[in-house]
Amino acid sequence: MNQIKTISKSDLNNFINKLIQDKNYEVVGVKSKDIRYVYGQLENATELRLDHDVTIIPPKKYFLPQYETLMEYSLEKQFDVKAKDEIKPRIIIGIHPYDVIALEQMDKVYLDSQKDDFYKKRRENTILIASDMQNVSDRSFAASMHTNTTDKGFDLLLTNIEDKYAITIGSEKGKILLEKYAKVQDAKEADINKIDKTRKKTVNKFKKKVILPKEEWPSVLVANYDGGIWEERSDKCMECSSCTMVCPTCYCYDVKDDVSLNLKGGSRIRTWDGCMLRDFTKIGSGEVFREDKKDRYRHRFFRKGNYLPARYGFVACVGCGRCGIACLPDIADPCDVMSSLAHHRKSDDTARFFIKQENKVAETNTIHVPRKATIKRIEKLTDAEKLFEIELDDKKPLGHKPGQFIEVSIFGIGEAPFGLASSPSDLPTFEIAVRKVGNVTSKLHEMSVGDKIGIRGPLGNGFDVEKLENKNLLLTSGGIGIYPMRSLINFVLDKKNRKKFKQIIILYGAKRPKEILFLNEVEEWKKCDDTICKLTVDRCEQGECWAGDIGLITTLFPKIRVDKLDSKNTIAVVVGPPIMYKFVIKSLQTMGIPDENIFVSLERRMKCGVGKCGHCQINGVYVCREGPVFNYKQIKNLPEAFE
Amino acid sequence: MKQKLRVAIFDFADCEGCELEIADLEEEIFDLLEIVDIVSFREVMKEHSDNYDIAIVEGSIMRPMDEKRLRNIRSKAKILVAIGACATIGGVNKIRNQWMHDEVIREVYGDAPTQRNELFDVFKTKALNEVVPVDYYIHGCPPDRDDIKRVISALGLGKKPEIIRYPVCVECKKNENICQFELGAFCLGPITRAGCKAICPTHNSPCDGCRGLIKKAETECVWEVLQRYNLSYEDIRRRCTMYNYGKEECQVDE
Repeated sequence: MNQIKTISKSDLNNFINKLIQDKNYEVVGVKSKDIRYVYGQLENATELRLDHDVTIIPPKKYFLPQYETLMEYSLEKQFDVKAKDEIKPRIIIGIHPYDVIALEQMDKVYLDSQKDDFYKKRRENTILIASDMQNVSDRSFAASMHTNTTDKGFDLLLTNIEDKYAITIGSEKGKILLEKYAKVQDAKEADINKIDKTRKKTVNKFKKKVILPKEEWPSVLVANYDGGIWEERSDKCMECSSCTMVCPTCYCYDVKDDVSLNLKGGSRIRTWDGCMLRDFTKIGSGEVFREDKKDRYRHRFFRKGNYLPARYGFVACVGCGRCGIACLPDIADPCDVMSSLAHHRKSDDTARFFIKQENKVAETNTIHVPRKATIKRIEKLTDAEKLFEIELDDKKPLGHKPGQFIEVSIFGIGEAPFGLASSPSDLPTFEIAVRKVGNVTSKLHEMSVGDKIGIRGPLGNGFDVEKLENKNLLLTSGGIGIYPMRSLINFVLDKKNRKKFKQIIILYGAKRPKEILFLNEVEEWKKCDDTICKLTVDRCEQGECWAGDIGLITTLFPKIRVDKLDSKNTIAVVVGPPIMYKFVIKSLQTMGIPDENIFVSLERRMKCGVGKCGHCQINGVYVCREGPVFNYKQIKNLPEAFE
Repeated sequence: MKQKLRVAIFDFADCEGCELEIADLEEEIFDLLEIVDIVSFREVMKEHSDNYDIAIVEGSIMRPMDEKRLRNIRSKAKILVAIGACATIGGVNKIRNQWMHDEVIREVYGDAPTQRNELFDVFKTKALNEVVPVDYYIHGCPPDRDDIKRVISALGLGKKPEIIRYPVCVECKKNENICQFELGAFCLGPITRAGCKAICPTHNSPCDGCRGLIKKAETECVWEVLQRYNLSYEDIRRRCTMYNYGKEECQVDE
């Protein structure tokens, strides 16, 4: 039971003014702005509007600011970077319970196994003085989401009980603050009763109510993934992403490099991004993974009502109604959408779009600032591709598994993900192969041996090589899918490891002979014991020299014999462009290889690499966390996986 | 240090306000001069050179003589950057495309003798990319100074400047503005390219679409909003005339 005090209205003002005068804190609270309310710095207690209905944007901005400098760097010296570290203690006054609950939800996402260090510091440095709702926005449906009140998540909670305020103490920090600055009395039973009365009175002020209880959102959504509602409503969507900008449970962000005009230095800025925007899923090569606005519209509701519930156990909507206010065609309000699904089918398979996976991830001090590394060797592979051997400057091995990826930073230009192309080793060096497609890859191509870059990782889920032991391995790659596959091939063919695996068949296809990579290594692979290696090209123009097969990768399958009986004992690994998977997997199934024996590696826009920024999501799965390597059986039912 | 990029700044039909924005970088103009040599900039200097890497061009193309001059600039520049609405989308100069050539001349010059004078030999207003290929765009009327810096510093680093494809609403919401529609105004923010930090709605003036439309006005979603706010297609057409006359929507890379 929380301790409860009372304070007179004038003493509450004194309390707040004393807080404002304490220069150790920045004191912010709800203030009026024309016909609406915003959070802003308080100059005087009289500015505080505890009678507000809802603010334009949530207090999320104090923990994940609209624009946030993560680090600053010099461009005059190579790799001279400093994490931004100016986080002043802050007191936020007037937060409504639904926003407190939204922050608690955000904690689950931002403070899980890979903690966001900036968020964590802000959270630790903030005192929340919440306020029970006195007025209710026309669009709010918090009461029907049971988020109109809360008994935790705050340091202090103010409730207007007629002639005075009740203060519920939620933490030691809050208690100390009261003792230091406020003139309070112990609450009497009558006061406590009044708190209940006030809250009940507020419930009657809600005009909107969601008919479908939030506990049922995950099961109704999962059964109506293909329902007509998404297309029908999204036809009216302007794709402005206002709904995600004002949402207290939308935490997706983008990261950009901002450089000073004299090019002497710059900063890396994090800013809010929205999944309603088409470029949200766009990768360096130009591919967009959620092209249809219907799919983006649906994604927002599924993320709130199904994906996050499956992962963290909460429905990520608190009923604040902000999106309903912000959406001009009025299609964004979850209250309307979920209510209209109230009498629709349900499915118990609520985790259908999610893959539960326990990745052991080492805790790091920062998820943002990269480690310093040096380019040790550059090898030209084709006109558009180069292989880079990289060493961490602390000389520690990267410690990766085949199939994992890293984020490479070039300050001033940006950061991009790359699959590791080298086999794990105890040496401090590792390799990535880079095709020139965007800004980061183009800059890498201009760099020289000895140049410094930044590395984050290894990230993601690689191949579970132990599961491949004592099996035949059928390793199929197409195009630049050979990059990560090379990591696995060189691992399994390594003399130390070769005995652990049975027969190894390597199939590799490229568009044209000149695009075949690592030809020298292919010759070495062919020489290994009990190893078959077949190459094919889609086409070979006149004058091009080519001794291998011509035809799509699938034409190689009839040329290898996999015993029907043995197919159960065969693990197939497929890495290639999106179009390739469908056909290759069909061939594998024809050969009798069970789905659980097939592994794939998928590409999406992995921006943060730690399951926060939201760009790489395939339904409820983060490619950067549960992937990029997936077991086909687990991922095949995810509609966004092989579209 | 690599050799500095040589930059030339040119103008066509416009108010020259975009050039003023560059000149107005104040002390940062020195930062700019650290990374580029400005070899031609009629508004602020007398010197001129035809030897340049980057041409930053403002203004619309109105006459055959403009076309010829622009083609000449294009042939000399490795990179051509269009700056300001007149250059990027035609902007206010396109308003006159609603009328016939003769009407326009009569309205402006009355009975003055304009015939057989190439200065008055005007055709329908064109944006730069209707005449020559344009590499990069600095949108706006006037452009945002940070946007100018962003594009120039990207070129200085040898990277492609990012093209913003999301609407003004994104930046407007981040600024915690009350929606112009909520205040009873009619704003083009939802269909206009961002990058201006939503400066107009932030100062309580609805968006006029100076950075170009990223969505056609004739889509179902726009209709839905017009109807909801008791606006007609005629309202949005008139609204778009200011900067986007005759232009359905910008190409994504513009």
